[in-house]
Amino acid sequence: MASKNIVGAVMVAGGGVAGMQAALDLANAGYYVYMVEKSLAIGGRMAQLDKTFPTNDCSMCIISPKLVEVGRHINVELLTLTDILSVEGEEGDFTVTVRKNPRYIDMSKCIACGECTKKCPRKLNNEYNENLDTRKAIYVQYAQAVPLKYGIDAKECIYLTKGKCGTCKKLCPADAINYEDKAEEITFHVGSVVLAPGFTPFKPTVFDTLRYNDVKDVITALEFERYLGATGPTMGHVIRPSDHQDPKKMAFLQCVGSREVNRAANGYCSSVCCMYAIKEALIAKEHSGGNLDVTLFYMDIRTFGKDFEKYYEKAKAAGIKFVRSRIHSVQPESGGGVKLHYVTDGGVSTLEFFDVVVLSHGLVITGETKELSKSLGLETDNYNFAKTSTFAPVALSRPGFYACGVFTGPKDIPSSVMEASAAAAAATSKLTPARSTLTKVIKVPRPVDVTGEPPRVGVFICHCGINIASVVDVPKVVEFAKSLPFVEYATNTMFACSQDSQEKLIALIKEYKLNRIVVSACSPRTHEPLFQETLAAAGLNKYLYEMANIRNHDSWVHAGHPAEATQKAMDMTEMAVAKAALLVPLKENVIDVDPTALVIGGGIAGLNAALTLSRQGFKSVIVEKDSKIGGNANRIFTTAKGESVADYLSDLKTRVQNDSNITLALNSHVSKVDGYVGNFESTLSGGQIVKHGVTIIATGAKEYKPNEYLYGENRRVVTQLEFDELLKADDQAVAAAKTFVFIQCVGSREKERMYCSKVCCTHTVHTAVELKKKNPEARIFVLYRDIRTYAQKEDLYKEARDLGVIFIRYEPERKPQVSQNGKNLSVKLLDPVSGHHLVMEPDYTILAAAIVSGQEHELGMMYKVPLDEDGWFFEAHQKLRPVDFATDGMFMAGLAHYPKPMEEVVAQAQAAAARAVTVLTQPKMTVGGIVAEIDQNRCSGCGVCKSVCPYSAIDLDDKGKAVVNEAMCKGCGNCASSCRSDAPSLRGFTNAGLFAQIDAAL
Amino acid sequence: MSEFEPKVVAFFCNWCTYGAADLAGVSRLDYPPNFRVVRLPCTGRLNPKFIMEAFKRGADGVWVSGCHPGDCHYIAGNYYARRKFILLHTLLESIGVDPNRLRFSWISSAEANKFQAMARDVIEHVKACGPNLTFRKAELQLDLPEVA
Amino acid sequence: MSNLDTLTQKIREKAKSLLEGGQADVVIGYRTGTVPLMAAPFFARTPQDCDQLVWSSFARLNLANYLPGRTEKVALVAKGCDARNAVGQVAENQYPKDKLFILGVPCSGQVDAAKVAAKEPRPIQTSEETDDSIKLTGPGYSTDLKKEDVLRRNCLTCAHRTPTLANELVGPEVPSLPTDDFSDLTALLAKSSEERLTYFKDLIKDCLRCYACRNACPLCYCPVCFVDETRPQWLGKSTDPMDTMTFHLLRGLHCAGRCTACGACETACPVNIKVREFNRVLDKTVKENWSYEPGLAWDQKPPLTVYQPNDPADFIK
Repeated sequence: MASKNIVGAVMVAGGGVAGMQAALDLANAGYYVYMVEKSLAIGGRMAQLDKTFPTNDCSMCIISPKLVEVGRHINVELLTLTDILSVEGEEGDFTVTVRKNPRYIDMSKCIACGECTKKCPRKLNNEYNENLDTRKAIYVQYAQAVPLKYGIDAKECIYLTKGKCGTCKKLCPADAINYEDKAEEITFHVGSVVLAPGFTPFKPTVFDTLRYNDVKDVITALEFERYLGATGPTMGHVIRPSDHQDPKKMAFLQCVGSREVNRAANGYCSSVCCMYAIKEALIAKEHSGGNLDVTLFYMDIRTFGKDFEKYYEKAKAAGIKFVRSRIHSVQPESGGGVKLHYVTDGGVSTLEFFDVVVLSHGLVITGETKELSKSLGLETDNYNFAKTSTFAPVALSRPGFYACGVFTGPKDIPSSVMEASAAAAAATSKLTPARSTLTKVIKVPRPVDVTGEPPRVGVFICHCGINIASVVDVPKVVEFAKSLPFVEYATNTMFACSQDSQEKLIALIKEYKLNRIVVSACSPRTHEPLFQETLAAAGLNKYLYEMANIRNHDSWVHAGHPAEATQKAMDMTEMAVAKAALLVPLKENVIDVDPTALVIGGGIAGLNAALTLSRQGFKSVIVEKDSKIGGNANRIFTTAKGESVADYLSDLKTRVQNDSNITLALNSHVSKVDGYVGNFESTLSGGQIVKHGVTIIATGAKEYKPNEYLYGENRRVVTQLEFDELLKADDQAVAAAKTFVFIQCVGSREKERMYCSKVCCTHTVHTAVELKKKNPEARIFVLYRDIRTYAQKEDLYKEARDLGVIFIRYEPERKPQVSQNGKNLSVKLLDPVSGHHLVMEPDYTILAAAIVSGQEHELGMMYKVPLDEDGWFFEAHQKLRPVDFATDGMFMAGLAHYPKPMEEVVAQAQAAAARAVTVLTQPKMTVGGIVAEIDQNRCSGCGVCKSVCPYSAIDLDDKGKAVVNEAMCKGCGNCASSCRSDAPSLRGFTNAGLFAQIDAAL
Repeated sequence: MSEFEPKVVAFFCNWCTYGAADLAGVSRLDYPPNFRVVRLPCTGRLNPKFIMEAFKRGADGVWVSGCHPGDCHYIAGNYYARRKFILLHTLLESIGVDPNRLRFSWISSAEANKFQAMARDVIEHVKACGPNLTFRKAELQLDLPEVA
Repeated sequence: MSNLDTLTQKIREKAKSLLEGGQADVVIGYRTGTVPLMAAPFFARTPQDCDQLVWSSFARLNLANYLPGRTEKVALVAKGCDARNAVGQVAENQYPKDKLFILGVPCSGQVDAAKVAAKEPRPIQTSEETDDSIKLTGPGYSTDLKKEDVLRRNCLTCAHRTPTLANELVGPEVPSLPTDDFSDLTALLAKSSEERLTYFKDLIKDCLRCYACRNACPLCYCPVCFVDETRPQWLGKSTDPMDTMTFHLLRGLHCAGRCTACGACETACPVNIKVREFNRVLDKTVKENWSYEPGLAWDQKPPLTVYQPNDPADFIK
C-alpha cells in the first residue's frame, strides 16, 4: 500500500439520509467527498415523510439541518443529476467517471424565486407528492430542497421537445435559464466508494385483487404519508380520495409486496412497514380529531426496535384495531370506499366496509441499482440487496466498496444512519495516510475589532422576488428602517441571498463601516448561516447579525392584509435593529483534544470500536470488568448466516491483543470521571488514570434469568445462550434428543419489560433450522407471539417452515404451561387457530429469554449521560443521532443501546468510532459562540444554574461561584432565566437584547 | 379600523414553534397579523420578566410556545420552563390578569396547522379581553436609555 | 418564672457555652429593642454579651438573614420559620452546614405591631409581656391585651412552630397549628378577574418601593437585585403602579418554593402592606403541584431546580 498513491477523497453515491450522514462523517473526518445524486436535490425518501416513528418527530424538521449542512459543507462536492458510469482501479485509488446531466439552469444564477414555475404551461405529475398533485416542467423537487435550484424536466419541457414556448427564459429575473445546457462527463479520483442508492417503494400494481390500479380509495402508504404531510396535496387533511370526504373507517394492509414469493417475489420482510403503518394510523387519528376508526390487518406485528413495542401498545390504547388475518380481496363500493374481504386467524371469512384502504408496501431495490451493482461487479442476493457479512456489515464484495442504508437490506432510518457512519469508518480504514490531504479550509479575514465603536447598523430588506414585495411595501420599510436609531444604511434587495447581493453586502459593509447587520428576509433557521458567512468574509464578527423573518412569518401568511403586513415588517425590522444595536462580537475559543478514546466494555462492540479507531490511527483503552474480553459472544454458537462466532471472536481477540494502538484494562471499571469532550480524565478501579478525548460506552447487556417455565428447576429447560453453549460443546444429549420446544418472548414484551429483544426470533429459527438439518426427524415446535424475522432473515423463517418446524402461536394471556413428571417435560398450550389444547413432551425446552440492560446508572451519572426507563443508554436523537449522546464527546455502541443482532452491533461499533473520529481528528476544537457566561460579581453561588443545566456545563469554582464550560454548553439559556440575580447571560440572547426586542415590538 | 386590533408579543423557541411558524409560511396558512415574535433558543430561556415587560409596555396579550414535553432540542429546557410557567400562570391569573391574555402552548415544527389554529385562537381570546388598560404602565418612557 | 423567661435563660446559657466551647464565634439572637414591641437583632461575641440575649414575642425579624456570606461560625437563635430558612441557606450554598449551629426556639407566635396599634392607637411608651398577655403603657393609660388576639397572621397558621432541624432546642416542643388552608385566597379566586386585580392593586397602592421587605428577607441575598438592574432596567424607577406591581410579582416568583412564611417582610413594611399575599399565592401553587415545603430537609431540591416529565400543566395547550 505504502508505495501506491492513496487518495484522500471518497465518493458517496446517493443523497438520502444514509448518504448524507456518510458524507458528513467523512468530510468531518478529513476526507473530501464527492456526493453523487441522480435527482435534482438531496434528501431522498426521508424528505417525503411526514413524521418519523416512534417519536413522531417531524421528518422534514429533523432532516433539514442535515440537508443544509451537506449543502454548505466546504468538503462535500454535490453532484446532482449525475449518473455513475464507471469506477476503475482499486481501493486507495479509484478513477470515477460520471455523467452530469443537464439541469438547463445556471445554478450560480438561480435564486429560486419561483417566477419560472408559476408561468410554465406544462403541468406534470408531482413525484414528491406521489403524483397526487402536479408540478411544472421547470421545478424544485420540494420546498426545502438542497440545492434550492430549479431544473427543467427535459423530456417534458415544451421548448426542449418542440422548440416553442421559452416562457421561463423570458420571465427569469436572474437570466439563469440555459436551454443549451449539455450533459458532460466528469472524471475524479477517490480512495473508496460508499454506495447508498436507497430503495423504491413496491408498486402494488401486480396484485389485481387489491384493486390499487383502478380503485381510488385504495392507496399506498407513501401516498397516504403525503396526504398526512403539511406540504402534501391536502395539507395534512385526511380524505377519502374518491370524493374528498372525511373518512370514518380506514384499513391498513400489511406485507404488500413483502414476505411474498408468488407475485412479488420478495421473500424478505421490509422491516419498517409495521411501524410506519402504526405511525400513519396514529397520526391519521390525530388529524381527524379522533373520529376515525383504523384497523391494521397483519400476519405478524414486527415492532422490534427501540421503543417500538411501546408505540404498538400506545396505538392499541389509542383504539387502533389489530386483526391477524389474510386478505382475500378488495371490492369497490358504488358510493365510494371499498369492501374488504379477509379471513381471520380463526378461519372466519369476513366482509367489512372501509372508506380508505392503505397498502403498506415494502421496500425494493430499483432496476437502476441492480444494474449499478452489476456494472460495478458487486455481489447481490436473490432480492438484489448487496451481500455483506455479519462481521463486516458495510463492506461489499469488491474491495474499496462500502454500503449503507437499504442497499444491504430493508431497514429504518436510525439503522441507516448507523450504517452510514459505519461506512464512513470502513471506507477510510485504508485511506488514513491521505487524511486531510484534499480537504479545504475556509479562510476568513481576521475580524475587525468593533469593540467600543457606536453601533452602525446596516439594514437590508429583501423583496424575495415577489414573495415579500407583492404583499409588503418594501420601500416603505426601507424608509422606516432609515429612521431607526443607529441605522447607518438601509436598502432593499431583490434577493438578499443571491451571490451578487452577498458581494454587494460585503462592499457596503466596508464602504459604510457597518458593524451590525440586519437582514429582513426569510427564516434565520435556513439563512442565518449564509449571511453569517458573508459577514465573516467582510471581516465582521459573524455574531453581529440579526434577521427579521418578514417572509415566512409575514408576507406568506398575511397576503390578504398588505397594510398590516407592512406594519408588521416595519415592527419586525425595528425589533431586529434594536437587538442588533446591542450585539457584541462573540469569541470562539480553541481547546486541545486528546486523540485517545476510552472504550468501556470489551465485547464485540467495544473491540470493534477500538479496532476501527486503531485503523484510523487513534489509540484507545478498553476497560473490561471481566477477566476476559468477548462478552456475550463467548457464548454464541453461530450467526444467522451460519458463520462461526468462535472463529471470528478468536481472530478478533488476537487482532486486539496485537494492536499497538489498543490497551486492555481487564478486571476494571471506571470509578471517577473528570473533564469533558476533548479532555476527559477517567480513573479506573485499579487507580490508573486515563486521559482521553472521547468515550465510547459499550457495556453490553445480559440474558434475562427466567423465573418461569420451570427454568432452574429442570435442567432440560434452558435459555438460548445456554443451548448455544450445549451446541458449541457438541453435547451428546442434545444430539440424541428428538423433540424440542422453543418458547419465545420469555421476559420480553411484558409489562415490566415492554420491549422486544429483537434477536430471539431469528436465533430460534436459525437454531431450529440447524437442528433440522442435522436431524430431519427431530420434532421442533416454536411457540411464539409474533415471529419477527425481519429483513432477509425472513428467508430463514421460510426455510424452517419448509423443513417442517412447527410454529404455534400463543396469546400472552394464555402462556404455554410447562410441567414435569420426574425428568419428563410436558408443554401444554391452547392453539388459537384450531382452538385445541396441544401437549408436547420435549427433550429440551429452550427459552428465548429477554435481553436485559446492565442498568449502568452509576456510569451514566459519572459521564453525565442518561438512561431510559428500561436501562438502555439514551441517545441524543433516536432517528438521526443513534450512536451519539447529547453530551459532546460521548458515544455508544452495542447492546448498551438496545438489543440487536451481531451485524448491527458491529455496524454500530464502527459508527461510534466514526463519530468519535470526527472529534479526535481535530487537534483543536472550536468552542464558544452562543454560549452562556457568568458574571461572577452577580453570582451568589446558590447553584440554581448548575441544577437546571441539561448539559452539566456549569460547575461552582473554588470560590463557590458558577462557571460555564464552553465546551459543554449548547446555549439553551436555562441558566440565564433561572438565576434570580441574572449572573448568567446567554451570548446572542442577552436580557438587554431581548428586552430591546420586546420594547420595539410594542 | 373599527374593530380592536390587539398587539400580542409571542415568545417562540427556535426549534419547534418558530419552525412551525416558518412552515405555516411555506404552507401559506394565514393567521391574524397581530403577533410580534421574539425568537428564543428554548422556552427555557424565557425569564418571567420578559412577560412582565411585554405587559408593562402595553401588550394586549402574550403567547409563549415551545417544543412538546419530551421533544426539547436541549433535552429538558421546556421541562424546567414548564415549572416556571405553572407558577407565573397561577400568579397572574390569581392577581386578576385575564387568563385569555396569556397563552402557553406546545407546537412542534411540523404542526403548521396547529400553529395557525392556535394563532387564531389566541387573537380571538385577546380580542375578547379588549385593550390592555389595567395591567400596563400608565406612562411609557420609550426612550432608549431605559433599555440600553 | 414565665415560659419566656425560661427560654431567655436557656438561650443565654447555651449561647455562653457555645462561645466558650468554641463551637460558635458569634451567637446571633435578639435583645430588647429600644422601642416598645420590638426585639432587636443582637450579635453576642463574648459570654458577657450573652446576658443581653432575650426571648420575647417581639422577635419578628428573621435572623437567618445574617447568614449569607458570613465566615464566622454562627449559632443562630431561630424560630421554626427562621430555622427552615437557615436550612435553605445551606442548601443554596449561602452558609456552610458545618459552621452552623441552630439554637432552636419553640415559638408560640409573634406579635403583630399593626394589630396592636389597631387595638391601642395611643402612643405606646412601654410594653411588658407575660406568657399570654401584653401590658402597654402610655401617657396616662395602661392597657392589657390578650396575646392571642394580636399575633401575626402567619403565626396563626404555623405548621412548624418547633424548629424541625435544630441542633438543639431551648425549650419543650410546642404543638403545630393547623396549616394555612388558603381559604381566603380560594374565596378571592372565586371572584372576577377585575375584582382580584383591584384587590391586589389596592393591596400595594401605598408601597413606597423602599424595599424594606426585600432587605428583611433572608432569601434576598442576591449580589445584585433585579430592582437595581440597569442593563436592561427591569423596573422603572418611578412609583408607577405597574412597576410596583412588577416588583411584587417578581419578588414573589423569586421566593416561590423557598419562602417559609416567616413574615419578616410584612414586619419590615413601614406602610403595613400584606406583601406576603403574593408569596401565599405561590406557596399554595407549590404545595398543590409539587407537595413541597421548603426547609424541612438538608438535601431538599427546590421545585424550580427539578422537574417531573409529567408535571401537570393543563393550561398549556
